[in-house]
Amino acid sequence: MHHHRPASRRGFLLSAAALAVAASLGVNAGEALAQQPPARLIITAIPDDGDADRMRENFGALARHLGQAVGIPVEYMHVENYAASVTALATGRAHVAWLGAVTTAQARMQMGEQLTILGCRDIDKGFVSYFIANPATGLGTVSDLGELAKAAQGKGWSFTFGSKSSTSGHMMPRKYFMDQAGTTPEKVFRSVAYSGSHDVVMQMVADGTHPLGALNYASWDKADDALKARAPIVYKTPPYTNYALAARADLGPDLLARLRAALLAVDGSTPEGAQVLKYLKAGKFIEADIGEWQGYVDLLESGIDIGG
Amino acid sequence: MAASARYERRPLGHFVALLAVLLALLAAFAAAEWDWGALTDAERRAQAAARIGAWLAAFARPDLSPAFVHHAWDLTLQTLSAAILGTALAVLLAWPLAMGASRAVCVGEARGAEGTGPLARLWRRLPLRSPAALLCAACRLVQDILRAVPDFVWAIILVALVGLGPLTGALALALNITGILAKVYSELWDSVDESRYAQVRSLGGGRLATFLYGIRPLASRNVLSFTLMRAECAIRNAAVIGAVGGGGLGSEIWYQVRFGAWDKVGTLILFTLLLTLAADLVSNTIRRQLRGDQSRQSGGASCAVAGAGDASRQGRPEGDAVAPPIAAGVSRPPFGPWLATGLVVLALLWSLWFMGWGNRGGEDGAARNHLAPAMELLSGEAWGKLRFFERLLQPELDLAAIGLGDPAKAAARLEQGKAVELSATHGALDFWRPSAWLAWQQELQKWFVWRVVESAAIPLAIAVVGTVLGVAGAILLTYPHSASFQLHAARFSGETPAPWQRALRALQLAAARATAVIARGVPEVMWAFLCIAFFGPGLVAGTLAIALHTLGVLTRVFGEAVDNQPLRRFEPTCGGSRLATYGLVAVPRVWRDWMTYGFFQFESNVRAAVVLGLVGVGGLGFQFSFNFEWFRFERAGTYLLMIVLLTVLIDRGSRLLKLSRVGR
Repeated sequence: MHHHRPASRRGFLLSAAALAVAASLGVNAGEALAQQPPARLIITAIPDDGDADRMRENFGALARHLGQAVGIPVEYMHVENYAASVTALATGRAHVAWLGAVTTAQARMQMGEQLTILGCRDIDKGFVSYFIANPATGLGTVSDLGELAKAAQGKGWSFTFGSKSSTSGHMMPRKYFMDQAGTTPEKVFRSVAYSGSHDVVMQMVADGTHPLGALNYASWDKADDALKARAPIVYKTPPYTNYALAARADLGPDLLARLRAALLAVDGSTPEGAQVLKYLKAGKFIEADIGEWQGYVDLLESGIDIGG
Repeated sequence: MAASARYERRPLGHFVALLAVLLALLAAFAAAEWDWGALTDAERRAQAAARIGAWLAAFARPDLSPAFVHHAWDLTLQTLSAAILGTALAVLLAWPLAMGASRAVCVGEARGAEGTGPLARLWRRLPLRSPAALLCAACRLVQDILRAVPDFVWAIILVALVGLGPLTGALALALNITGILAKVYSELWDSVDESRYAQVRSLGGGRLATFLYGIRPLASRNVLSFTLMRAECAIRNAAVIGAVGGGGLGSEIWYQVRFGAWDKVGTLILFTLLLTLAADLVSNTIRRQLRGDQSRQSGGASCAVAGAGDASRQGRPEGDAVAPPIAAGVSRPPFGPWLATGLVVLALLWSLWFMGWGNRGGEDGAARNHLAPAMELLSGEAWGKLRFFERLLQPELDLAAIGLGDPAKAAARLEQGKAVELSATHGALDFWRPSAWLAWQQELQKWFVWRVVESAAIPLAIAVVGTVLGVAGAILLTYPHSASFQLHAARFSGETPAPWQRALRALQLAAARATAVIARGVPEVMWAFLCIAFFGPGLVAGTLAIALHTLGVLTRVFGEAVDNQPLRRFEPTCGGSRLATYGLVAVPRVWRDWMTYGFFQFESNVRAAVVLGLVGVGGLGFQFSFNFEWFRFERAGTYLLMIVLLTVLIDRGSRLLKLSRVGR
């Protein structure tokens, strides 16, 4: 009698596990067949602002606005890593993501036709980066980055970008530097660091940890005057295209159309809209097409030297 | 004959080891570009001093506003629950993996079964000789990979599997700790002397019975203490949960450090230290309850020494030699184990509840069930999403650069002058010229894989220099840290210290212990954040961070090894100064243990140095994360392969040297 017991218990466990697997598989299969929109939309963003709470608050407002407009609860999930936000979007763990140009291109290269653009800000089609310097360097404004490279020769200065995957904090400043100085930042500066986000670049240049740095203009503009005085601009780059609100194409044309309409309707009349526009330094959201980011895809696929 | 045998037993090995350390140091200084400017250049030193001063001033006045303290408390709870859950899962996963990876358990060959010649010894190392041996090798590889892959990478891979949230971080932590625990468990089981469980085998017990009734009980004490030690480390290092949407102390400190908000950093470090201390206390209690100290207290001197020996050999960090002896009767029912088990279960239940329902730190303060995504693991769809990372398994080997693979591509590379041509300027016969080696190195650098191999020099150099500095510091700090020498010295030195002397020594002891607690309680990564902020990014900051953390960890275990020595061992030097007794009796007695810990620490420092690369120290870790974050998975795969290779090499090296022997 005794030796029957373990066997029957094992049998019970096995069947329970099989049931659980079958149930979960069944649920998923049903979802896939019906092509229904998900019960809950997840939106994420690249952490270009180092302050997680500030991002949660403001993107939470955007999520609420979109949720009210399309009638599906939308939730903002914060990540601390650029690659994690692209991974989440590409693997369907997030449905909508606020991405920079480089991350948009990366997502495009991973996802192909699965990626679509909901829209971008009015300021995103003419975005600019600033090169800033600590006043102790004695640098004034320079007319181009070749001049900056010449001034840095032999000084042993270090340089900081923002995040590695940032467009305005790394990719475009690096591209303009290489175009104009004819060499890479690694060859000119004692060390090249990646501080993680734009506001941190400004802080580190201001307190002299790194004498020089690059960041996007919006982050510089919203800092207070005392900080601006300790990290003045030495060079402004030419304009380029930047951020976009990207989404997965498998949300279906109907839901995507409603999301687009909701995004374009963001204005100062609702508290959420006013909060989002103020935080993102934008007047309104405008229509955009994925083709406008194709240049970045080409740039990345050309094997440009990005320092790694 | 007898004389020569005795002569051969002289511990020459340690001189060889010291020589090896010296050579490693020289190599470390030669292999990487050390920029000591932050310490030697007067202006930059003044800057660094000003920053340290500002930090100390701010640390003295931490931001204790109710809002921020509340915020820090929330973060502490998030960190704690993820760490407990991660460790618990890791223990469950590590057991079967370690059973597979332990030669004694999985292969179960009796020593000398195939003879003792060199050929037989080689045969024992060959994984292909039997299915069990193959399984053993595979399990070891799995645990090395689990350990070698930085936990933030596990976190990103898990995003595809279970989505965003604190659970993802806890699972990533669990995978990483699984690798560490499985390695140590399997080493502990392997190092139990075979003769101690030969009886089980001779009575007809199979491999499983030998494990359950022979090996496991004999190593259980060490397994337990190491598990608890890892749990403490996990609580300290749970920074990874922030990477994918879980919050936690680590990511917040990183952010505040970069922002120069030192008062807030002070508060957060205070919370980290409190958490570490609390974890220390609880795990010590659990350990004492489970270990049945009565037998140790009453079991005579030799038993106590043996216990102390194998306790300290595992780096078991507690100071129970100082604790007052428990005057327990033998008749008392063993209530302790129940209490300890209850504590563990309670902690586990709390962390499950917090992860599932209690975490209100997220958006709008609404509680959400963060455990639900775990169900995703049961669906085939979630596993299908792993295909996103498939390219990691196809490492870029850049064969064209060395003239292999597709001939057309190789020719094109040669055309561009970007292919390796070793004999371009110097032939093989020029090997005696230094210029030839330089030229060869430059040629080889055109090959991507060579650059990958070279990038490993930086973490290795950091680990070597950091470990040596930390060991040296710990040897110095152990003297004031030792209760035997500061409080109980009168019992062996024959002196009668004046009350003021006693007070001074107690003060010294307290100061040394506080230093060690702080150095140990702040994890390497946080030390690195601080050192980067003080001295600027680079090798020096990373090395100092590793040295500081090593100092803290080693002082504790070094001190225990000294304090575990019975005081009467020191009596022969009666009349000598305390310092002479320390240097001439205590240190030689524990030297062997110290060196074992030192090597353990070196091993974990190499991995730490790879991770420090991620926060701006450079080298292998930096290159890996850079390529990973740009989704250049093929290149990242090559760097990952190098990280795994480094881990495997050091692991096999330490197994070969049998540094972790318990029953020596």
